[in-house]
Amino acid sequence: MSATPSSSGGGSGSSGGGGGPCGACKFLRRKCVLGCIFAPYFDSEQGAAHFAAVHKVFGASNVSKLLLHIPVQKRLDAVVTICYEAQARLRDPVYGCVAHIFALQQQVVNLQAELSYLQAHLATLELPSPPPPPPPPTLVTPPPLSISDLPSATSVPTTYDLSSLFEPIVQVQPSWAMQQRQMDPRQYGGSCSTSTGSGDLQALARELVHRQGSPQHGSAPCADASSPSMSK
Amino acid sequence: MNTRCAACKYLRRRCPSDCIFSPYFPPHDPQRFASIHRIYGASNVARMLQQLPVNQRAATVDCLYYEAQCRVQDPVCGCVGVISLLYQEIHNAETKLAKTKAQIALFVDSNSAREDFEVESDLNVLLHEEGNEFAHLGPSNQVSFGFT
Repeated sequence: MSATPSSSGGGSGSSGGGGGPCGACKFLRRKCVLGCIFAPYFDSEQGAAHFAAVHKVFGASNVSKLLLHIPVQKRLDAVVTICYEAQARLRDPVYGCVAHIFALQQQVVNLQAELSYLQAHLATLELPSPPPPPPPPTLVTPPPLSISDLPSATSVPTTYDLSSLFEPIVQVQPSWAMQQRQMDPRQYGGSCSTSTGSGDLQALARELVHRQGSPQHGSAPCADASSPSMSK
Repeated sequence: MNTRCAACKYLRRRCPSDCIFSPYFPPHDPQRFASIHRIYGASNVARMLQQLPVNQRAATVDCLYYEAQCRVQDPVCGCVGVISLLYQEIHNAETKLAKTKAQIALFVDSNSAREDFEVESDLNVLLHEEGNEFAHLGPSNQVSFGFT
């Protein structure tokens, strides 16, 4: 989905000008000028609530600067992910979205331990002579995760095309200390680029925001009512 | 000699004795505060820390730093990129797990079928041998074992 200004008849007022202030400017109680950087992404209805979270965590000027450095076609994705992080931080002031990352990482560790055990078991079954019974599964409880065990976004390519999957990366920060094999942060499950149309990452980000819900409703930030798949 | 913390050095201000940043931004790591400041801003971070008990602030700063680094390195996706990566890893692991379980099941099934066949073959051989053993008793005592 590309970032488009409100295409409705000015009803939602997501663009500056005659349609009324966008959600961000409504929250900030300022005039929504033409070309307002927030207008395409925060409609005047639910956008204000979403922007409140973003403002509280990041601040309007920081988000504005961030968006200015991002190509227009990727700004919607950026806003969605920023909203997700802001809401996660408000829900969990200590860990924010890192709690979610920890949980997923633990799930990965458990699955890979189970996989290793089963693959070893399969290898023993395939031996020509009857093998001794495999040792009982001793799934060692992994030590608690720490920040340094998490993957970093280092070396993530700026172009998120699928052809960049499975390329080796250089991990700047120590990560995956628990794992036998290195995880490659560039093994993206999808594309964050709006130029490719719908990316898995876009859908994920929106789903994450939708799951967290807005303070009032369970909808993701929506530029306008005509934006598909953003408001549910 | 009082050394300013990395935050106060970055902000070019005096570092008071009760500076809220100093326990978490040692002067030898200026990048830590720089990243956090770039994404969140000093006042937002100070407010977040003030609203938390002291024993939770270190973890909070660590997480903020991690998220800030993710956002600096990936301005569009931030941490969501990492989350996407993890979901993919989970999906891959679950797929491999299902495949391995299927292979094990197939292996066990084929072994069971082979053992059944071998048992039947052994039985047939045994019955044939027994039939030959009693052949001298006459045809009336021969029992058809159902095979030729």
